[in-house]
Parts: sequence; C-alpha cells; structure tokens
Amino acid sequence: MEFKDYYRALGVAKTATADEIKKAYRKLARKHHPDVSKAADATAQMAALNEANDVLSDPEKRLAYDSLADAPQARAGGEFRPPPNWDAGFEFSGGGDDSGEHSDFFEQLFGRAARAQRGGGGDFGARGTARGGDHHARIELDLLDAYEGAERTITLRSARLDEHGRAVNEERRLQVKIPKGVFEGQHIRLAGRGGEGHGGAPAGDLLLEVAFRPDARWRAEGRDVHQRVPLAPWEAALGTLATVHTPGGATEVTVPAGWRPGRQLRLKGRGIPGVGNHAAGHLFLELELALPPAETEAARAAYAALAKAFPTFEPRGGAGV
Amino acid sequence: MPTNRIEIVPADAVELLDLQAYSAEELARACNVRPEWVVEHVEAGVLQVETSRNEWRFDAVTLVRARRIRQLESTFDADPHLAALTADLIEEVTQLRRRLQTLVAGRAA
Repeated sequence: MEFKDYYRALGVAKTATADEIKKAYRKLARKHHPDVSKAADATAQMAALNEANDVLSDPEKRLAYDSLADAPQARAGGEFRPPPNWDAGFEFSGGGDDSGEHSDFFEQLFGRAARAQRGGGGDFGARGTARGGDHHARIELDLLDAYEGAERTITLRSARLDEHGRAVNEERRLQVKIPKGVFEGQHIRLAGRGGEGHGGAPAGDLLLEVAFRPDARWRAEGRDVHQRVPLAPWEAALGTLATVHTPGGATEVTVPAGWRPGRQLRLKGRGIPGVGNHAAGHLFLELELALPPAETEAARAAYAALAKAFPTFEPRGGAGV
Repeated sequence: MPTNRIEIVPADAVELLDLQAYSAEELARACNVRPEWVVEHVEAGVLQVETSRNEWRFDAVTLVRARRIRQLESTFDADPHLAALTADLIEEVTQLRRRLQTLVAGRAA
C-alpha cells in the first residue's frame, strides 16, 4: 500500500486552515466535477479530490492522518504499512463517506473495514465484518439491445491515488447479459459486483444506469420509441403502403393520404418490449417529407408541372411571412 | 490499470430492477445519508416519490438525481433547492447534448 499525500492532491500546505482546504477543494471540484469536465479521467480526479477532502476536512481524521504522515515510512515513499494500532488514542465520531470510490490506503485507515474493526455502528454487522458498498455506473447500450436482449462487455473505470497523490484510472471489464425490455434510466443490478465485503461479509452490488447511444434513426422515451420516416411528396399526399425498418424488424405500414407537419402514426406495442406486468411501449412513426433532387431535365420539368398544377398554393401562409 | 481480463457475470446475478425499485431506506443508503435527509427533500419537493401500499417508492432516475443533489450539497455546502436547481440544469444540458448528437448523426447519415 502506498502512502497518499492528500495535501498535495488538494494543492494546499500542511498548515492550511479548514477554510483554505474548503476553498481549494471547491475550486478543484468545479474544475473536475464529472458533470462539467469533459476530461476522460474526470471521475477519477473527482474521486481523488473527494477522498483527500474527506480526510482533511474532518478534524479527527486529519489529526490521525497527520500523525501517520510524520512516520518515517511515509516520508521514505514506496510500500507503506500503518503501524499496529496506529489509530489508538484517536476518536472517530463520524460515519465517513462511503458514497464514492476510495483507495486501498483510505479504506485501510478510514473505510468501512477500518470502522468495523473499531466497532463502528451504522449498517455494520458483528465487530470486524461489513457488507461491501454498492457501486454505481452508467452504461450506454443500443436501443436494439432492449428489443432483443444482448450480451455486452462493459468497461468500468474507477480511480486510485498513486504514491504521488495523483489519480490513476483503473479499468475492469464485465461480460453481462443485458435483459430484454430494459429502458433508459432503468437500473440493472449485478449482485456481488460492488465493493468487497470485509471480515467474511458479502460484497455489495453494482448498479448500472442504462442510457441509449444517440441514433439518427430513432429515440426512446421510457418504453415508447420514436422513429423518423421520410416520405416522397406523392406518398405523403396520396398515401402509400410503406415498408419501414423498425427496431423490431421490417414492417408494412399504411400511410394515409393528406400529410401535414408533425403527423405521427402509432404502432401499438411495437416499442420496447414489456417485462412482467408492464406492457410494451408504442412505436411512433414521425412522418417527414423528403424531396427528390431536381438534378435532371425530367425532374425539373416535373417540379415545374407541379407548380403549374397549384397556381394559388402559398407555402409561407401569405404576405410577409 | 487497464486489463484484458473479462469477468463473466452469470445470468442469475443480473436483475432488471422494477420501476419503483427503491424504498426510502435504500435511497438513503445509496446516497450515504440518514433517512431524515430523504424525508426533508421529499417534503421540500426536491425529490419525487410514489406511494405504494402506504410506503414511499423511488425510481432509478430519482436515485441518480438524489445522489447528484447530495454530492452538490456536500461539495459546495449548497442549499437543497439550489442543489436541485443545479441538478435540473445538469439533466437538461445532458438531454440537449444527446438531442444535438442525434441531430448531428442524422445529418451525417
């Protein structure tokens, strides 16, 4: 285990006041917050900042950490092991923040296992045991995965701090059978794939939040799916029997005559399949007009004939529009 | 550290969670807060809740939102309503970016 320099992570001196630590943390949090930063390692950076702040903003933890930082092993670098009973004489009243990823260093000193060893309360069981924490991640799937189910390999990134206190990405890959009927925003629980349990207690779960990759062909809203269907002018005006390639496969659709902007056709139950007691969603076909290019003499003549056929047609609704 | 090892998750370990999957206690645990925090935020209208058999139930979207609000409150000492407003804006920006991506993909197709 490597010693983590939390002061370096926040860019503050060891003599920094609580206010200076708070300001440094917030400044860096605004820069690295995953909802704001576009950097690939934003989550890792934020996890490292949170961990450093967890310790340095808590007077009890900071005092204990500082005592360890003064140990010769910490200054020597390389492999670090806290001395036996290093925390004897320190009192930890807070439960600690288990909501994020933490390094082994943090876990051993202040994490769930350490608190369990100290007989911490909360959701801990018998002394020395603690169920692993649940982890959360967001995954992107294709809409077609929801229709058919799929087997996907997902890559999850987490963070640890290196010996210099810098955030380092870690990756793990899981092969998961994606259940049919999943929709955006829903959670898939992978039992036992969260944080490790301590003292023989079970591991936590991994909760995967589902999002669909943007696709020019369709988009989902809950279990309902919207698909754009371009029509030729004569199909739109006169109606047609169109073959549409939907997420569920090719299907024949009767398009009624008399197209107007915003018109949709609803195919009942052709959205994302239902699961259990939940009904399938609907598929909404959004009818759009597609104009053939006037690139040949014959095409230009056809458009000219069309114009002659509608001498009073005013597409812009009148003067000045 | 990147690795080529792939862990195969057996099918019986994969569960598609129901719409209103979480109780107030589960939501509190996921956010690492006390249940009172959940009650306060529901009563303030910051978190949406469904009632089923006299029990509060929360969906996955609300859980993600609650975690985000909790993180904003914790990081910036933010007022719950200000954190909720920020969460609303983050969600809207995310949706708009996705729609933009879809439109760009549609034009390129």
